[in-house]
Amino acid sequence: MTDPRLHEIPDKVEWDVKHPNKFRGNVKETGIGFMGYDYDSTTEQFKVYLHYDQLYYWKYAEVSKLGKGFIDGEFWGTKCPKCGDKFFPPRVNCWNLDDNLEKTEWIKLKQEGIVHTFTIAGWSGKSSLKRLPFVLAYVVVDGCKTAIANELRNIDPWDAEFGMPVKVVWKPEDERQGTVTDWWFEPADGWEPTVGDTPEKERMKELCAPVYEWVKSMD
Amino acid sequence: MSRKVCIAGGAVTPFDYPMHITPEGMIANAIVETQGDVPDFHMTDLEFMVYSHFSVHFGKQLCPEWVVHDHLGLVGLPHVRIENGGNTGGSALYGAFLAVKSGLFDVVGVAGWETMDNVTQSQGSEFIALASDTRYEALAGGIYPIYYAAMAYKFMKEHDLTEEDFALAALKNRNYAADNPKTQWYRGEYKKYKRDLTVEDIMDSRMISYPLKRYDCCLMSRGGAFALITSEEWAKKHAPNNYVVIDGAGLSSCTIRAGDRLAFPNWDKMYGKGYPDMTEFAACRRSGEVAYDMAGIEYKKAKKEIDVAEIHDAFSSSEVQIYKALHWCDADDMKDFIREKQTFMDGEVPTNPGGGLMGYGHPVGATGIMSAIECMYHLNDTAPKKHLSSKTYVKDAQTGLVNSHAGTGTSISNFILRRP
Ligand SMILES: [Zn+2]
Repeated sequence: MTDPRLHEIPDKVEWDVKHPNKFRGNVKETGIGFMGYDYDSTTEQFKVYLHYDQLYYWKYAEVSKLGKGFIDGEFWGTKCPKCGDKFFPPRVNCWNLDDNLEKTEWIKLKQEGIVHTFTIAGWSGKSSLKRLPFVLAYVVVDGCKTAIANELRNIDPWDAEFGMPVKVVWKPEDERQGTVTDWWFEPADGWEPTVGDTPEKERMKELCAPVYEWVKSMD
Repeated sequence: MSRKVCIAGGAVTPFDYPMHITPEGMIANAIVETQGDVPDFHMTDLEFMVYSHFSVHFGKQLCPEWVVHDHLGLVGLPHVRIENGGNTGGSALYGAFLAVKSGLFDVVGVAGWETMDNVTQSQGSEFIALASDTRYEALAGGIYPIYYAAMAYKFMKEHDLTEEDFALAALKNRNYAADNPKTQWYRGEYKKYKRDLTVEDIMDSRMISYPLKRYDCCLMSRGGAFALITSEEWAKKHAPNNYVVIDGAGLSSCTIRAGDRLAFPNWDKMYGKGYPDMTEFAACRRSGEVAYDMAGIEYKKAKKEIDVAEIHDAFSSSEVQIYKALHWCDADDMKDFIREKQTFMDGEVPTNPGGGLMGYGHPVGATGIMSAIECMYHLNDTAPKKHLSSKTYVKDAQTGLVNSHAGTGTSISNFILRRP
């Protein structure tokens, strides 16, 4: 008998639903290439410009349910049948060493949670600069034992609070990619900030002002 | 376990952004400088090389250690590369420590570098973020300063700290870096400022991610470092006036995603339910305790016993979080510990007199080695000649601590160094 903790590896996968170039057109890999050079004749320093790009095929395999769930607007987490711990992001084996790699079960989660902690980002990676400033929140979704990070939108950044209830909001269906960028958090319906203006909120506003200006100047 | 392992010598290149020297050039320079302090040390003494390099993305060269090793003329010697995020340097030292401790080798070289100036700053941030869980975190716009800020903000609130409390660490390390000619701060912005930073300067710098501002964050750098890890016998014979003893070494790990440590079973069992949450560095506490135990240091007395420390101040807030993880202060006396400036030169545990990551720079693979070398400079009394003055020299130091830190606290090492 096979050990029930083993993850199944399908013999053959045929992609009958294909969207390989749905979002950026036909991304062509150009491989490695030297683009040009600079020279400093005083110090005799030489430099070349190298460009390299690549397309990856991320196989979700055992966590495929998560990616397909995002396309369908569903949150799938996992639960250990032995200890009952619930995970989102999903873990496909239990984290408890006493449970000896117990295979977890998929469960559909409620799309609501509580902000565990957060920050107001004023700087980020190249692909996120235009969204600044944004609130990045760690949210415990539907009573899980873990918190997941994502953007908290539809709120003035300085109004975010520890412990505030949030809901999940999805991109339009045809824009979803099966990744965490398909959705974000927003304050739960009817939620209002529990405190009015405080010196800290003023300070946050002050810190955000130049970020708004800077992002505007990027267009 | 009676065999003792020593740092016989070592050296660090300047750290800067940009800087025009190849990895192999940096390591060669660092070895030559090491030989200046340990004239007996010759290339032919090396038996095993541990390379310390974080991201091949920056050089677009897989196995870049092969380039360096080959260039140094060490072909034929065994070599490995250790990569462990921001704790790459500490982990490489740990690997070399094990190699000598085991009795297999007497003379091991640890060589580390990073060339982060090969790409733009924002591209660099994104490369580093690839060490977070790309499936769930980097995609959502997260980069390390943002994750650290989310942890720091909760820590700040829970301990009733202020942005100014964090700023003290930023100010301290940058201003100490002004006394160290190899640091990125001294070579760059300090040259423009020509004065010490104030808390106001830090408060006025641009927001990176609340509560962290630009001057609360470390620097992206190019730089290299080398450490010579040897048996005590070799060190006594060939580096009698330069060597220090590694009396304690600890390495520990935590989750890759900071959000996964609210109820991790292993930590629950070890330190109680709900620890470390997103505020404490459990891997720092654990590896620190292992190193303290090995060196015979009682946790409560750690701050009294440690005369000088070089710790991983990737952010001003993380420096403060590390104080707590290392048992230098607890929730009750943290505010006093910070505000009494107990980690300044005149305090209980002078910390980062070399400038730290905020002042010296953070070329990842070289950083942990830099921290160890800077710590060594006090224990062997070479700090006054390595720094510009004696202002950043801890006199009569007997015991030092070196800390190296990765991810969101995902891998952390601690070492206790002692004057022989
Ligand atoms: Zn379980």
